[in-house]
Amino acid sequence: MKKNQGLRLNRRRKFFNDEDRWGYLFIAAAMIIFAVFTLYPVINAVYTSFFDYKPFGSKYVGLQNYIETLKYSKRNLFYKAAWNTLVYTAIVVPLSLLISFSVAIMILPFKKRTQSVFKAMYYLPGVASGVALSVVWLWIYDSSPDGLFNQLLQFLHIPTQNWLSSTKTSMLSLIIMALLSSHGTSIITYIAALHGIDNSYFEAAELDGASFMQKVRLIVWPLVKPTTLFLLVTGVIGSFQVFMNAFMMTGGGPDNSTTMIGLLIYNNAFVYAKYGLACAQAILLAIVIAIVSLIQFKLMGVDVEY
Amino acid sequence: MKKVIALLLCLSMVGCIFAACGNNDAPETTASVENQTGNGETDAPKEDKIVIMAPPVTASYLENLKVWAKDFQKIYPHLSVEVIETSWGDHNGKLATMAQAGEAPDIAEVSSGAIGTFVEMGVAVDIAPYLSEERLADYDENALNYMTIEDTLYGLPLYLTIQSIGANKGMLESVGADVEKIQTEGWTYEQFLEIIKAGTKENVFGFVFANAGVTASDFINIFGAGAGLDNNFTEDLKYSFTSQNLLDLLKAVEEMTQSGYMPNYGVEAGQRLVMCQTGNAMIFGKAMPLFEANFIQNNAALEANDGSAVENSLKMDYAFLPVPTIGGSEESCYGTVDGLIAMRNNNTTEEHLQNVALFMDYICSGDRIASCMNELYLTPVCQSGRDALVLDEGRDPANLAAASRCIDLVKAPPAGVTAEMTATAKSLMDEVIVPKFQLLLAGESNAEEVYKAICEAAFDAFGEENCVSGKLS
Repeated sequence: MKKNQGLRLNRRRKFFNDEDRWGYLFIAAAMIIFAVFTLYPVINAVYTSFFDYKPFGSKYVGLQNYIETLKYSKRNLFYKAAWNTLVYTAIVVPLSLLISFSVAIMILPFKKRTQSVFKAMYYLPGVASGVALSVVWLWIYDSSPDGLFNQLLQFLHIPTQNWLSSTKTSMLSLIIMALLSSHGTSIITYIAALHGIDNSYFEAAELDGASFMQKVRLIVWPLVKPTTLFLLVTGVIGSFQVFMNAFMMTGGGPDNSTTMIGLLIYNNAFVYAKYGLACAQAILLAIVIAIVSLIQFKLMGVDVEY
Repeated sequence: MKKVIALLLCLSMVGCIFAACGNNDAPETTASVENQTGNGETDAPKEDKIVIMAPPVTASYLENLKVWAKDFQKIYPHLSVEVIETSWGDHNGKLATMAQAGEAPDIAEVSSGAIGTFVEMGVAVDIAPYLSEERLADYDENALNYMTIEDTLYGLPLYLTIQSIGANKGMLESVGADVEKIQTEGWTYEQFLEIIKAGTKENVFGFVFANAGVTASDFINIFGAGAGLDNNFTEDLKYSFTSQNLLDLLKAVEEMTQSGYMPNYGVEAGQRLVMCQTGNAMIFGKAMPLFEANFIQNNAALEANDGSAVENSLKMDYAFLPVPTIGGSEESCYGTVDGLIAMRNNNTTEEHLQNVALFMDYICSGDRIASCMNELYLTPVCQSGRDALVLDEGRDPANLAAASRCIDLVKAPPAGVTAEMTATAKSLMDEVIVPKFQLLLAGESNAEEVYKAICEAAFDAFGEENCVSGKLS
């Protein structure tokens, strides 16, 4: 009996000695920030989603906000916004990864200093304010014949386009904008991953007479798969939450062809003051993102060690 | 030692974050602690602080507001005023967020169309009990009606602004238009179409309207008034955007966009005025009376040749025009009232609301509002403001008369419209009417299809029996 007690005390001491205490104190800083600014808002959003929220006296409505979100009607934009977000994500994320991967491969042979210059150039749009970028893009997409893209089309003898005001080109415009302005982080991550590949693989491949594309397909691509999975998952999460581009460029129009879920949630919360409904939609979005991320890990993460 | 320093750094980091979240205004917002616990030795009124949030209603409004706040404090030494300055871009979003958090300012600038949102939220306050009959009588009834929902007055009007169309007067006369007659008697859509046809030449559009993105709603509202769609609801509280008048409006817009007399592409808000000033457009919309100031300033800049004029602009006179009538409708003008509303927050008390109403009335009336209206080229909507109004020299009397005539044409919303009806109408406008209208402007749908889609959504929202069918009477 005494022996057992001694063991328990030893374990407790081992579990919570002086060093641990310091460790927990340091972790506490991050944990408090996480709890206050991430965990609490999430829990509060779940709680609010069951209420018809009002600052002075909310009313419990059960699942009504979820039912209103999912119930089909001519005025319910949730499904249209979900479809728009899905189309945007399905095109932007894979193409972004492909562009980032290709650019990283092209930058890799350069000396370190030249690499840094390219990395800085590609990262620069990420440093600029999204609002400032949108203003520039609004100028680029000016639908008049004087617009930058329209001038380019006229030079190529192609009819000018009503870029942001036509349902035929509005989503394409947002996709082009995303594809041309947000690769810095992915390129830097890919370059770091490419540096991690042992040179002996390439030497062996050259001895075997492998072509450039064979080296990329059979050596580089499999070895950077963990990086690709990481960028894919974070890219999909970010893309599902896209808001700024639609808000600044089109306001969701024309005919709601660029209304994304993020914009819909924003409008419900801050334009129509339906906080409960907005929270329910945000929770549904979070669930969808979690499911999609799980599927990605299942499909791509089989031979990836993390 | 290193551990202690690192820990202190971590703690200071957490502390800084929480400090940033703190509300250092809270103790001051209502009556001070000293006064609340007063020892009864004095009858001096309790000190109070009023918080007002406003965007730059005019170029000098926010600066003036601070001066007026100091003047107000000279009259009422126990009352201090804090001004929260916002930009037009972030005003509504910031106000909604603060209100949702229960931390709304005591007074906020709000467009009459948005009052319903704050009523629904439960933060708008009935201010009638805090104002005397005499003071309320100073304000025009028509303007007060805009600030009223379900017989409850939520604020005081600052101004009734009219939105219509404007033109390069010289160019308009050169195509044979009788500008004076149009300004004094109005015109029909058919006459308007003939004139913009005559005004369309190489590199010149007879008409341009900012229609890109959400500005499409201006097109609906302004030309909608010309088609008899003055308000969302009729006197018998039926939804009006399902009437034959809407179809007439849509057909007219379809005709205009396909005519080649106006651009068939999206025009940003800032472009239409520049297109007129550079001679690339004859008539433009939306336009307001105060645009005359832009033209006067630009003409002066061109004369001074100091480089501040709009690039490639020409010297020209501005004509403020009424919107043409469509489908035989009675002449009307689209107008909105912007005003100040009282809002409930965590610190609101009866006594505080009394002070809030006092300050609100102070800045909405007298020479304060008169100077503001002079800058906006508008007539005050209260008698004390009109009495104090001194107009700047150099204003075109014809434009002044046209604006005054248009103000008289504005019809206030009918009594009995509930906050819920207003909110549903707003949601229909934002989520259905404007998006479908954008399709029409882009030439991707026709008037009948758009009309059908709007009617279906409106029937779904209000019920067919609560929507107008046929022509508005």
